Amino acid sequence: MQMSRNEIIEKLKDIIVSADPGLEERASSVTEDTRIMQDLGLSSIGMLYIAIAIEEVFAIRFDNVGISDFETVRSIVDYIEKKL
Amino acid sequence: MEEIRPPKNYIVYDFVRVTASPGLIVLRPKLVYENEAAERFVKHGMKGGVLLISNHSGFFDPVHLMLSIWRRRHHFVCIKDFFEGNGFKRWLFTQFHCIPIDRDNFSMGSLRRITDELKAGKLVSMFPEGHVVNEGDLAPFKSGMVLMALQGNCPILPVYIKPREHFWSRLRVAVGEPVDLKALYGPRPSLKEIDEAAKSLRDKENLLSTIF
Repeated sequence: MQMSRNEIIEKLKDIIVSADPGLEERASSVTEDTRIMQDLGLSSIGMLYIAIAIEEVFAIRFDNVGISDFETVRSIVDYIEKKL
Repeated sequence: MEEIRPPKNYIVYDFVRVTASPGLIVLRPKLVYENEAAERFVKHGMKGGVLLISNHSGFFDPVHLMLSIWRRRHHFVCIKDFFEGNGFKRWLFTQFHCIPIDRDNFSMGSLRRITDELKAGKLVSMFPEGHVVNEGDLAPFKSGMVLMALQGNCPILPVYIKPREHFWSRLRVAVGEPVDLKALYGPRPSLKEIDEAAKSLRDKENLLSTIF
């Protein structure tokens, strides 16, 4: 499956909103530089939730990586791109 | 985090279970059930994947759980520190099919291992307080267990181990009715609902602590 980085970010925004509808406003302004925990205020459980959703939406499988290793949206997009 | 593969068999685990089983005669806990559904669930073999959660008031709680639910093999979720080095401790925890987790940086490998065991119809046991709490109220529950049960497509069985007043007094354990999170929250609850579920499971544990 080929996807541009922008398409990946758009899908990530949908995932963030489905995890927490209260984050809709912040999710709409997500860029590659957005820090997931600090800027979006997601907890480690929130990160885990998003990682599970990413596996389902993008049909990829995370390796044995720590969820806190993904500091910014860019790091997630890079990983997804590598796996697609 | 380093991925630790479980052994392909339960030879060591079952050897210890069988040789230690006479101990059940003197150490067998008194089980108290929340209701008939809880009793039926446990007495009819707890078939399929189950995520058992318990309070954690002492170092021997895993042994207490094994004595309480002794018909099934427990796969305990425990901190990665127990697997450090290459010594006996690491060997023992590996042979007992314990699942290491990193509390500071939870890995997808740990989640996959837990959900794979649950999907394979096994019993995974954990202490959602995350550490030993031997005084006062239960600590807040980590909501990761809710995600694990949802991903593992299994019920959560809440269990409360009553701290002993004297070391010679008989151990008492309360077993709650299994909770089917998918029936309560659907297959994909929001993060808020996941936190609510963790809080309600803690409330349930508090309730279990009063039924002795």
